[in-house]
Amino acid sequence: MSRFVRTRTEMEGRYEDVWALVDESDDTESWAPDAALSLVGRPVPRQDGAARAAGRARFTVDVRLAGTLHAVVLRSPVAHGRVRSLDLDGARAVPGVRAVIGPDSELSLTTRSPLLRGEPGYAGAPVAVVAADTLEAAHAGVLALALDLEVLPHLVDVEEGLREQRFTADPTDEARGDAEVALAAAEVTVELSLETPGQLQTALEPHAAVASWEGERLTIWVSTQGMFAARDELARAFGLRKSDVRVLTEFVGGGFGAKQGAGFEALAAAELSRIAGRPVRLVNDRHGEQLDGGRRAASRQTVRLGASRDGTITAIDADAVIGMGQGGWMPPVLIPARTLYRCADVRALTFPVKTNLRAQNAFRAPGVMEGTTAFEQAIDELALALDMDPLELRRRNHTDIDQVSGSPYSSNQLLACYDRAAELAGWAARGELREPQPDGLLRGMGCASQIWWGGGGPPSHATVRLDSEGHATVMTGIQDIGTGTLTSAQIVAAEELGLPLAHVRALGGDTAPNVYGPIAGGSQTTPSVMPAVRSAAAKVRKTLLQLAGDVFEIAVGDLEVSDGRIRSRDGAIDVEVTEVTAKLGDATIDGSGSRGPNPGGFVVHTFGCQIAQVSVDAALGEVRVERVVAVHDVGRIVNPLTASSQVEGGVLQGVAFALTEELVVDPTTGIPVNAYLDDYKIPTIADTPEIVIDFPGIADENLPTTGTKGLGEPPIIPTAAAIANAFAHATGRRAVALPLTRDRVLEALA
Amino acid sequence: MTTYARPGSVDEALELLLEDGAAVLAGGTDLAGQIDRGISAPGLLVDLQDTGLGGIAPDGKGLRVGAATTLADVAEHTLLAPYAAVTTAARLAASQLLRNQGTVGGNLCQHTRCWYYRGEEWNCWLGGGDTCFAQIGDHRKHNLEEGDCISAHPSDLAPALAVCGATVVVRALHGEREIPLLDLFRRPTADNRSLVTLERGELVVAVRLPAPPDASLYLRTGERQAFSFPLVSVAAARHGTALTVAAAGVANIPRAIDPADPLAGLPGHPQSAWKRQVLETLVERALVTLRT
Repeated sequence: MSRFVRTRTEMEGRYEDVWALVDESDDTESWAPDAALSLVGRPVPRQDGAARAAGRARFTVDVRLAGTLHAVVLRSPVAHGRVRSLDLDGARAVPGVRAVIGPDSELSLTTRSPLLRGEPGYAGAPVAVVAADTLEAAHAGVLALALDLEVLPHLVDVEEGLREQRFTADPTDEARGDAEVALAAAEVTVELSLETPGQLQTALEPHAAVASWEGERLTIWVSTQGMFAARDELARAFGLRKSDVRVLTEFVGGGFGAKQGAGFEALAAAELSRIAGRPVRLVNDRHGEQLDGGRRAASRQTVRLGASRDGTITAIDADAVIGMGQGGWMPPVLIPARTLYRCADVRALTFPVKTNLRAQNAFRAPGVMEGTTAFEQAIDELALALDMDPLELRRRNHTDIDQVSGSPYSSNQLLACYDRAAELAGWAARGELREPQPDGLLRGMGCASQIWWGGGGPPSHATVRLDSEGHATVMTGIQDIGTGTLTSAQIVAAEELGLPLAHVRALGGDTAPNVYGPIAGGSQTTPSVMPAVRSAAAKVRKTLLQLAGDVFEIAVGDLEVSDGRIRSRDGAIDVEVTEVTAKLGDATIDGSGSRGPNPGGFVVHTFGCQIAQVSVDAALGEVRVERVVAVHDVGRIVNPLTASSQVEGGVLQGVAFALTEELVVDPTTGIPVNAYLDDYKIPTIADTPEIVIDFPGIADENLPTTGTKGLGEPPIIPTAAAIANAFAHATGRRAVALPLTRDRVLEALA
Repeated sequence: MTTYARPGSVDEALELLLEDGAAVLAGGTDLAGQIDRGISAPGLLVDLQDTGLGGIAPDGKGLRVGAATTLADVAEHTLLAPYAAVTTAARLAASQLLRNQGTVGGNLCQHTRCWYYRGEEWNCWLGGGDTCFAQIGDHRKHNLEEGDCISAHPSDLAPALAVCGATVVVRALHGEREIPLLDLFRRPTADNRSLVTLERGELVVAVRLPAPPDASLYLRTGERQAFSFPLVSVAAARHGTALTVAAAGVANIPRAIDPADPLAGLPGHPQSAWKRQVLETLVERALVTLRT
């Protein structure tokens, strides 16, 4: 029996009340924290690992349909301007050009904001798009557009925007208690200000789409984290039924938050394809991607803390000025200040400043990562002022109650994370790092804590189908953006079905089966999808055993299935699953499952602690990260291999945020100067520290059936703060801005 | 429209290079980027791969390194081992993929990495425009000299070859000339924005190295541990008691440095002045190592 239940869902801290479709007859019980599981919790290589390594994986940029046209975007070369002239007919006259759209073109799609703008508000903003037989002809078409712009005044300096009160939304003031009074009364106070850089997602596969129409049906490959969101957006824009839009996204070459829904690329490709009557491929070139793919917003934060001498934090007063660009959702920069530690008197002010850059968008732990980077440095400053061990200060202010809502956490192993990280890092001996080093470098060790959501929730569905050969397919709504979530679905299904891994394959990346899964963001895929997979597999297992009972004329309750064999408890029956399934002929055993709601009365969060060790060449301003220990509490771990990969990737992006990555904007023209890969420095293998990873791995018993939380965001959150704290430990100084490039380090040490 | 030619000899290449809009294509690692960003728009690409300009061979007491020799070969060739500055510079340049492709001649003749010069949105002074955007904009990675242009030169090889006493063999149809390595370079002027002293139709065909120094080394600082251009680098060599030092990243072109006064003539700009300390430190460390 299916029922609707009213429940609350969460995505990156935004809560929403929704109707969730649940199966009342689903009696799948949660795995006990100490359940003896045969596959879940053991390292498993990705089911598509070999295809990825061999180059057989087909990403959107690899899709080539017969007769495909290639689209090139004309982008604004100025930070703010108004189109004076644009020769669309000139472009159409170029041999090979088949379709051209500009700001004033009549389009068949309708979108909330214009697809192309006659008054671009940032360098890189799309002004026109040309589709042609070849990429070269499309580029020639773009030249023939002969764009002429009137340059208008721009603003990229966030402080200037703040002075002029140019906001994308009203500033927010989130307070509890009275931070001002508490600060004035505090025995010890510290204050820290920090600038954090704009950071570009820089996915190796840029934003891309390949669109193809058959009559009023659209098939479109999109490099996206949200294929269902893309489907719905495209259906809305073109006035189609959802079932007439098929979004394919089998492999995604990275998203990191920047690829939500259809995006400009899919909308433009579909529009051009409709005009030209041929498939259209639109792939951002690297400059276009770095200018217009998105970014983590730059921020300027100030944190003031008050505490009593025993280390109890008594006041938190934080403000954040965020360089929003043209707009977008306000990243929750001050969430760490408001929730990480127990404190009754807190004030958080956020100022979203409008500038002439692209709208900032999600980048792995948006807001929370840059907020943690400032806040956790302030906590270390407080430890210094109190002459207290930084980990001890954090332990003393630990809480099991969500400080905003007053509700308890569904689970919280942060204290265990501190202990384990300290043990793995050799924290107790960190003082020795400050003694003279044989290589003449300065060394230090620093820590930082992490809080993030990641509890997942409904809606999420899965369908498992077992065939006569004893092999199962798991249909999911997962778009595996490189995280390995499809392999996790394979593991969970195989565990529940009692089949060997090799006999189970998880499918995703296609909206056609209409098996819904959430957007791959907010660390929600694993906690949302795995319970649905488990429920679907449990139904198939039950049916299989029922059929086995029919075949062997034995009560179902006396049968079990594991490792691909059906056995009776008395040992009389011990046969391959195929002894039963072979009798299916071409029929299949199907089961569908859905994700039930999270229990009320709890707030679900992930936690963690990282400890970084750095070396500093003080005369050359060079910081190297030697080791990062990362211990994160994300409930039960489905696949330690891909979980570790997630942590490695997150830590590495955090290292880059601390040391090298930074969008630099020319103050004179308002145009980014390093929107390329040569001057925008993502880390190389040579920059990669030793990364030591562990998980408490204790299932969250308050979460439905698998006890898993998400791990996409957590590992990037505390890395930069831990590195900055290690730098301060090594040198006794803090830089006023990140990343810790040579110029900033030398200035800090001067 | 760009045409492509692959001449079978140096003379044939030199003939082609006299054509309007002709550009040398050796490894192409810099040229491809220039074409991508509209810095160069050659009408004719003259590919040198069949001209026999690669290879390292004994040459009197020294060596002759063909201009089309790859950086990877320079880094690994046993004959070059006595020139530690040169092999180190080649090994630290770029990434393995680029070193397999990039050539000695191309590394010397590469253009600056200045982000205004390279950026598609600016037409800066060095690129033929009126304004050095770096001086009024963000110049944290720029040079330490006064001038119309404050771009920094990114060649790893140039200072290393210079301190080892290298010369450059330049050939044209009418003949050959040989110049000290640093004389290949010139500061850009209002009427000629080129960074090299090559005339139209001239091609760098080889670098000649005299007998190796008694000791040499190359120290560099980049923005990350691999695959980056030098921010500041210093090459130093000792011949008997005589020390020679040269640097990249501090001037428009590779520059000889006075070991006794490394910062002479390099006052720096507000955002690039930090390079002075780095330069001073690298020179000091180089000299300490060479003297011991």
